[in-house]
Amino acid sequence: MKTSDVRISRRKFLIATSATALAAACGAATPSATSAPSSAAAATAVASATPGKPLKIGQLLPFTKVYAELGNSMKRATDLYLKQKGNKLSNRPVTLIYEDEANDPAVGAQKTQKFIEQDQVDLMMGIVATPIAYAVRNAIDSAKMIFIETNAGGNALTRTTNNCTPACKSKYIFRASFSSWQISNPIGTYFATKKGVKEAFTFVADYGFGTESQADFTNAFQAAGGKVTGTLKAPLGSADFLPFVTQLKAQPTKDIYSFFSGTDAINYIKAWNQLGMPAAGYKMNGAGFLTEQDVLKEVKDQANGAVTSLFWAVTLDNAENKAFVDAYQKEYNLLPDVFALQAWDGMTAVDLALQATKGDTSNKDAFVAALEGVKFNSPRGAFEFDKDTHNVIQDIYIRQVAVQGGNAVNTILDKVARVTDPGK
Amino acid sequence: MSPEVFVQQALNGISFGALLFILAAGLSLIFGMMDVVNLAHGAFYMLGAYVTLAIVQRTGQFWLALFVAPAVVGLLGLILEPLLLRRLRGRHLDQVLLTIGVSLVIADLLGLTFGREIHSIPLPAGLDRSTQILGSDYPVYRLFVIAFGVALAAALTLIHRRTRLGALIRAGVDDAQMLDALGVDIDRLFSRTFASGAALAGLAGVIAAPVFGIFPGMDVDALIYSLIVVVVGGLGSLSGAIAGAGLVGPADTFGKVLFPQFALALIFAIMALVLLLRPTGLLGRVRIVR
Amino acid sequence: MRRVVAVAGILALAVLLVTFPIWTADWESSRYATTILRDMLVLAILALSLDLLVGVAGMPSLGHAAFFGTGAYAAAIAAQRLGNDDLLVGLGAAIAVAALLAFGIGLFAVRAAGIFFLMLTLAFAQMVFAVAFQAVDLTGGSNGLAGVHRPTLAGLDFNGADALYQLVAVLFLLVLVLSWRIRSSTYGRALAGLRENERRMRALGYDTTRLKLSAFVLAGAIAGVGGALSAYSLRFVSTNDVGVGRSIEAFVSVLIGGTGTLIGPVVGAVVVLYIERVLPSSIPFAETVLGLVFVVFVVAARQGIVGLAVATYARVRR
Repeated sequence: MKTSDVRISRRKFLIATSATALAAACGAATPSATSAPSSAAAATAVASATPGKPLKIGQLLPFTKVYAELGNSMKRATDLYLKQKGNKLSNRPVTLIYEDEANDPAVGAQKTQKFIEQDQVDLMMGIVATPIAYAVRNAIDSAKMIFIETNAGGNALTRTTNNCTPACKSKYIFRASFSSWQISNPIGTYFATKKGVKEAFTFVADYGFGTESQADFTNAFQAAGGKVTGTLKAPLGSADFLPFVTQLKAQPTKDIYSFFSGTDAINYIKAWNQLGMPAAGYKMNGAGFLTEQDVLKEVKDQANGAVTSLFWAVTLDNAENKAFVDAYQKEYNLLPDVFALQAWDGMTAVDLALQATKGDTSNKDAFVAALEGVKFNSPRGAFEFDKDTHNVIQDIYIRQVAVQGGNAVNTILDKVARVTDPGK
Repeated sequence: MSPEVFVQQALNGISFGALLFILAAGLSLIFGMMDVVNLAHGAFYMLGAYVTLAIVQRTGQFWLALFVAPAVVGLLGLILEPLLLRRLRGRHLDQVLLTIGVSLVIADLLGLTFGREIHSIPLPAGLDRSTQILGSDYPVYRLFVIAFGVALAAALTLIHRRTRLGALIRAGVDDAQMLDALGVDIDRLFSRTFASGAALAGLAGVIAAPVFGIFPGMDVDALIYSLIVVVVGGLGSLSGAIAGAGLVGPADTFGKVLFPQFALALIFAIMALVLLLRPTGLLGRVRIVR
Repeated sequence: MRRVVAVAGILALAVLLVTFPIWTADWESSRYATTILRDMLVLAILALSLDLLVGVAGMPSLGHAAFFGTGAYAAAIAAQRLGNDDLLVGLGAAIAVAALLAFGIGLFAVRAAGIFFLMLTLAFAQMVFAVAFQAVDLTGGSNGLAGVHRPTLAGLDFNGADALYQLVAVLFLLVLVLSWRIRSSTYGRALAGLRENERRMRALGYDTTRLKLSAFVLAGAIAGVGGALSAYSLRFVSTNDVGVGRSIEAFVSVLIGGTGTLIGPVVGAVVVLYIERVLPSSIPFAETVLGLVFVVFVVAARQGIVGLAVATYARVRR
């Protein structure tokens, strides 16, 4: 599954020697690292006439701990993209090296060093959790490693900040996913203007991402004339959402803006229904991860009517999305999710930039310029990078959950075109 | 907080406490009887939840899982105790290392077998509606959890006080060597105790699955909560587990809505405070530790 | 004569360790090997400090990351707020803050023993974690603390990867020597007495509470050094560094390597970090392997790797 050079050389001395020592010491059948099968390397060994120099891409994704399935999803999309291209981009056979960041910045930093120092990859992609992106930002910047962020949305990664705290933009870092501002601010404006909401209450997860989303929503909503009547924050590791929803029901503001994802979102939505919030007139809204597929397939119709904002929906009606969803479904017998889409767009951007440089990645400045010039129609709509910040410029969709043909899906209510993060 | 909201939050807290009791009872039993710190307890809970998931996905029968899942986890305990733990009697640190190892293996294998998606199962038929309490909706399943926890506590107390097994357990907690000298087959007693403790963790996994969901990493949170409950209540005593769960559940619930800034630290602060005032926990008996 | 050979051998090993990036410079991937070794040594420092408690004094702490992480935050924040990259400032801050915290927690924790001590240290460490998570202005909260400056000392600049590695290696050796000196001192023997029989120590007139508290503070201070080095190495401090995961990492390193032996925690740290961070590059089920290694060691090697090695050596000699 995870690939690295099969060749045994002195560069692997550490891995080889310590594996042997370990196997000898504990007498267990510890598989030797160097003899591990490497499917992707084998796949790329097949080459047609005069292939170019191999292109190595390091993918830093979570394969264990709580975000493991996000990593799996992103890996599936990446593999599919390459499969469609015959495992070659601009005539260069591609080797993918997957590493597990285990949701720990220390591990992420170390794996980044591996990509830079040992594998000497041409490009790096991935990273799900914002703290890990912040942790490796400086190492990537000083190594002049081209990095395409394909999930983490912390605003600072593509902004100019005071003292570069907690992070700041880099010439070498591009973000093909989103910033938390992009998925939180437009819906705030939409609420106050088009939806005619006068008052809202916010309820978010109490960590960096939730706090950012809450602040960006509040600013936009209040700037457009709305009023945020109060805030509730769920501390880290809150599995039981009944106490929070009880509090929500005990206050009068009916429109609730929330930021949750994954298991939290599922537990929140279930508690919401169990306490009869819909019948009492309360309306669930939020940043799009609240009602993405991983959540909807578990809560079924219980999120019906929820309005959320995101840069994509699996139901989006355009040719690119249809092709993407069909191909993914055919390959894996699964609907793609937003994480798969982000990895897919990251690969597309790399592909197009490679075409512009005729497959050259050695000239970093030229490759950065090529990425800056990338424009394409993504399954999410028009895609390009902001030349100042390297954050993606994209359309944001206001979506509403509805049940169609027995499945809960996000239907598109409205579109905010070309949303650009305000970072400089 | 209005009186209505207070009552509802109290119910939330008590139902969380009831769940914590089901979760912690097994850990407490194993420690009290066998003097074993079982850090694989969270993984046993996780296994119970995944067995529930498999059964509900295939048959749709939650109630079937209520019997099968504890049996499966109990069986695993019945195998693990003589195989690995028996030789570590009295060696606490080795027990810690061993049970951490076992839990890593269980959690990783569950991820490899079931995939690492997040899952959720619907509330069981018949308990999937809400009822009116003080003019507001309240989920029946939470009331069921409270009733189940109370019934389990009563049943365990009865077994503990009135049966031969209970007498053996009480004697074993006081002095296992003495039992051995009296001709009780201590090996058999211990493996059954361990299996029962594991089965209780599996049972907690079943009951919690429709509420908290089933996902990678669920074992760690469960382990920490159950450790807190048994330490606060008093290691190894059934009434201690009841008291601990009764304190921690409501405290955690009210803490999270009233002082969200401090909620993360609150239950640990309670645990530290209890240990400082009563080093053996609320209802723990004095024992020479080590 | 044998003693001279032994000392010479140890000195040679120490020199080899510190000069590792130099004599491996023409190896194809000595850069990454240096990075891995550096991280192993940082974990080894943490494990060595924890073994003073677990292995020497018999105080099983499951919250040692509290001092490691606090040291990391202290070194990073001191450099940032004071605008001073001096190593002595950073290390001094890390040691002072970690020791102070250990004193505060120790005042309460050392009154408990055995499993209660374990739980109490876990509880206090979780409280420290909660504070680090919530004090966003100071620690960056869940976003972490980025852009930690690497230190300088008397004209030496430790910004380069090799220089920083050598700083870590030298401090590791210092900690190793310190641990050895402590173990063979009267103080160390008094601590060992605590583990063997606390009541007897009290009868002999020792103030055992004070003795335990001093060990707790000392171990906390050394863990703080490890934390500072981690912050310099990664140029980042995250809440994971004060989390229970890090505490468990240190704890199992000590147990796997062999408690109460000088070299055991070091070997354990190397093995644990290898399985956790290097092995997953090659196999998808590294967590299972790590778990199985724990099980196998508990069952097969009672005294950890070092204990096993000593026993094997003794058997071969006979």
